[in-house]
Amino acid sequence: MDFGDMPVAWANYISIGGFLLLALLVWLIPRKLIYTGATDHARWRDIRIWATVLITLQLFIYALFD
Amino acid sequence: MHPLDFAIIVGYLVLITLVGLRLSGRVNTAHDFFLAGRSLTWWVIGLSIIGTNIGANSYVGAAGNAFSVGIAQANFEWIGAIPAMILAALVFIPLYWKAGVYSIPEYLGLRYNQAVRVVAALITSIVAVFAIGVALWALALTLQTYLGWPIWVGIMVTGTVVGLYSIAGGLAAVAFTDTLQVCIMFVGGLVIVGLGIAETGGFAGFATTLTEENPNHLQAYLPADHESFPWPGVILGLGVVLSPAYWCAGQAILQRTLGARTQWDASAGMMFAAFAKTFVPLLVVFPGLLALVMHAEIEYPDMALPWVIKNVLPPGISGLMFIAIIAALQSTIDSGINSTSLMVTRDIRHVLFKQADPADDLKVGRILTLVLLLLAMCVAPVVAEMGGIYTFIQTVLSLFQGPMLALLLLGAFTRSVTPSAGLWTLISGVAVASAILLGGVNMLYVAFASFVYSLAALWLFSRFTTHNDNIDLDKLTYSPWRRS
Repeated sequence: MDFGDMPVAWANYISIGGFLLLALLVWLIPRKLIYTGATDHARWRDIRIWATVLITLQLFIYALFD
Repeated sequence: MHPLDFAIIVGYLVLITLVGLRLSGRVNTAHDFFLAGRSLTWWVIGLSIIGTNIGANSYVGAAGNAFSVGIAQANFEWIGAIPAMILAALVFIPLYWKAGVYSIPEYLGLRYNQAVRVVAALITSIVAVFAIGVALWALALTLQTYLGWPIWVGIMVTGTVVGLYSIAGGLAAVAFTDTLQVCIMFVGGLVIVGLGIAETGGFAGFATTLTEENPNHLQAYLPADHESFPWPGVILGLGVVLSPAYWCAGQAILQRTLGARTQWDASAGMMFAAFAKTFVPLLVVFPGLLALVMHAEIEYPDMALPWVIKNVLPPGISGLMFIAIIAALQSTIDSGINSTSLMVTRDIRHVLFKQADPADDLKVGRILTLVLLLLAMCVAPVVAEMGGIYTFIQTVLSLFQGPMLALLLLGAFTRSVTPSAGLWTLISGVAVASAILLGGVNMLYVAFASFVYSLAALWLFSRFTTHNDNIDLDKLTYSPWRRS
């Protein structure tokens, strides 16, 4: 297959796969590092959750515009 | 222009100057001036990052590109930003905080050597002056179009307003005015979306008309043989190299995270910016699609946004949208001069002039902010007349991104790279990227190829050069799982 003939759908699959991988990697970061400097350890301050919501939004976007 | 629009514009300029000047009382040291005395909260940081990011090209250029290629233009806000912003928030910002630096060149100086620090600061600063010049020109051009002001008056007024609050209030003034400006941008953008959707028969009507006449305009990616945005180039060049280099190593972007109240605020600020970034296409891409659906008769795509402002928005609201464009350009200019002033004051002056007294940093920083602004004001008409220079400078920056990212990644994640390998990789990486570019290869592929070369070269050069035992690797590498 010629380089220029690669299907556009592959781009969406790669993007979605990349975002899923990132979602997994985010949760490998230790909790104590996430809260460094935070005034309290409230659940909403865990920015790994923010990242997961953000990635879910991206998954929706790339699934929608395929 | 409708008197209501004019009143809104004048009111905005007065408000932004007053807010900026109000914060000047907080600046007593260089730490206050460049890092806002480490006082910024996460939401101010997030909105300020978006203000800095949305510039001249974003508003007019992105709407124009969306008119031509469709939703694929939004990749610059999604795959070309979000993963890198998450990486910056969770990895690089904590690393810079641990290193205790003022700037990214300073981090590279500590991790490699002072030569790498100066080269990185010098290239970034030169490009920044030209970029500020372009933004000033674009702003003056906008003022001429809507208010009929001569270009030189537009440059002088903008320079004076931005200069007043940036020189007096430093990063805190820049960040707070950016926050206000981004709120205005979002209000203006959302009004366009609302009125545009209503005018075209609701969401369903909008999408049907768009896809009936332009079947590929709601596809996120363009074919692999597309001349400007081939999808492999977008993923490899933009997603893997240019975007991480911009979001994880861009001084103008990251400076507000270094001025955060706490490390958590810094990381959360970047993550909040990523949420806002997800919705930026509503502001910069949607107007281009709307002009297409409404069958705008325009000479060239970049006229899509001005056409929408003129034909969709009622009086008062068009003044608000005009302010949004001014705000986008102003926030780019103020962030650019503040971060460049920091790099020249500390990363270049402190290294090249050993006798420079850190106690003078505040005075020097303020003078340099003024000098850089004047320089950019002088450069503005030249850049506009000889557009090739700016393109050339932008290309130089792109050539620098691959090697820069390789230095940052291997420097942050491994303990084996050496100082001289860093310098030689930076120099040879730019040379390799230039050679590939001269072969007529798309810039996105050049960025990826130079990045791969730089990773290999940095690893290889490090095998044959000596380590510096004085480098504190525990502080300068990212190793959260390492046992102390």
